[in-house]
Amino acid sequence: MATRSHSPAAQASRRTNVLLTILALAFAGLAALLVGNLWGRPPALVSLPLIDPALLDRAPSRQTFADLIAAKEDLSDFDCYACHDKKTPPPVHFDENHKIIIPKEHSNIKMGHGTHDRNNLCYNCHNESNLLTVQVRDGRELKLSDSTPLCGSCHGPTYRDWEAGAHGRTNGYWNRALGVTQRLACANCHDPHAPRIPPRVPAPGPHSLHQAAADAPPAATTSH
Amino acid sequence: MSAPSPNSDPAPADKTSDRALSRRSFLRGTAALSGLTALAASLSPLRELGDFTSTEEFLQKYYKELTPDDMAKVLERVTREVQHQYGIRPHVRDLKPMDGVEFVYCLNLTRCIGCRKCVHACVAENNLSRSPEIQYIRVLKLPHGSLDLEKAEHNYDAKEVPEKGFFYMPVQCQQCRNPPCVKVCPVHATWQESDGITVIDYDWCIGCRYCEAACPYWARRFNFTKPEIPAERLNPDMAYLGNRPRKQGVMEKCHFCIQRTRVGKYPACLEVCPVGARKFGNILDPESEVSYILREKRVFIQLKEEMGTSPRFFYYFDK
Repeated sequence: MATRSHSPAAQASRRTNVLLTILALAFAGLAALLVGNLWGRPPALVSLPLIDPALLDRAPSRQTFADLIAAKEDLSDFDCYACHDKKTPPPVHFDENHKIIIPKEHSNIKMGHGTHDRNNLCYNCHNESNLLTVQVRDGRELKLSDSTPLCGSCHGPTYRDWEAGAHGRTNGYWNRALGVTQRLACANCHDPHAPRIPPRVPAPGPHSLHQAAADAPPAATTSH
Repeated sequence: MSAPSPNSDPAPADKTSDRALSRRSFLRGTAALSGLTALAASLSPLRELGDFTSTEEFLQKYYKELTPDDMAKVLERVTREVQHQYGIRPHVRDLKPMDGVEFVYCLNLTRCIGCRKCVHACVAENNLSRSPEIQYIRVLKLPHGSLDLEKAEHNYDAKEVPEKGFFYMPVQCQQCRNPPCVKVCPVHATWQESDGITVIDYDWCIGCRYCEAACPYWARRFNFTKPEIPAERLNPDMAYLGNRPRKQGVMEKCHFCIQRTRVGKYPACLEVCPVGARKFGNILDPESEVSYILREKRVFIQLKEEMGTSPRFFYYFDK
């Protein structure tokens, strides 16, 4: 070996050969990578923080009495005569500012109907002689599950808009010939006791979507 | 580099220098390595070879010249590309405008609470890029008693909306009757269809962004980089002129959810609106809610009416 590598020229040529082989292999490898597109595969999708699915929710914000019946929910809350007496209408009490005092049995009710809290007599809507119905001012008695005309008896223009489809949410098909247009009742969005739509947390603004999912806004609160 | 070990047979001095890395061979090796690196770097754009325009797409005819057979092939190609990229087989259709239909959008400024749900419903429905973020709808927060868009706040981040003393005005493509964006397109990649929707053929767009400059509503968005959409959130219900995934270097904009509205459904932004501020329908149908609104309500503006664009997007008040 030592004897053969005596000539410096032979050594140099062998080194050049080795170098050229390495280079050729490297180029061949690169070519194979490119042709096989191993390197050029679409890069794996980066994991993007996803928007809170609650912000994409299309369901109505409330369930009406009719919805509860349809869903076969527990309706014991609506069985008025389980507690109340059929003959004597329950009394309504007011404090010195003429604000209604809500009995603790009905503490889930937050009264806030009307901008001045003046629509605070239960029997403006509830029927004192039959608590299972509501009464329209013109004397009609309506079932709790069919309360929309009751709202309309005071909110005439809004009711007219609603009938025309211009007030309230619509889902489904704009083209009646191709599918069903889903309309909602008043109580699907408005709490009859406090009809103003409560404020909510806005969805993230532009260019803040890239924050981690843990930074998603907390659930909406109604406090001011 | 190291000195020969003493216990090996005493080698001649020239052999030692031959085994060790000489200055010359080091330099040669470095040069070769850097040459290779430079070559690899110069070839690196080829990594996106897979995303390059395919021959099929390159030879594709103009949208309006496509025969139904051509269109079927195009849809098959789009389906294949989406499936390759996202692993989901989409349902891509080429939906044509309906006869006797002209779409109009009405937005009730009395009702809008600025919750931005429409923005994100639109992103989800229309397969908009999450990174970089592209959104078709921008909700402006304006002080009461003013319609000075210069005073509008885009990035409001309130704890709760609506805030006292402000109103909110979502702005998106106004689907103008006289669209400036269509006039400036040098390749006719965007045009107005008979139902009033201004559409873009993403395969024909050359990305010159003239339309973006021409639009007075800042309704058009450009894909500066490859759009990123999480595969699990990809909406597989796609339309050719609508929400199929876009490429880098093309324009996009609101198309009234063409994949929904041309089969009779409401747009996604409307359905998600929690207060029913958004109304959509066929203005040629006197019974539709938009006809009722334009007839009965205080429709106060077409945004930037003085531009003469004649939008099909109307803002109105309840009271």
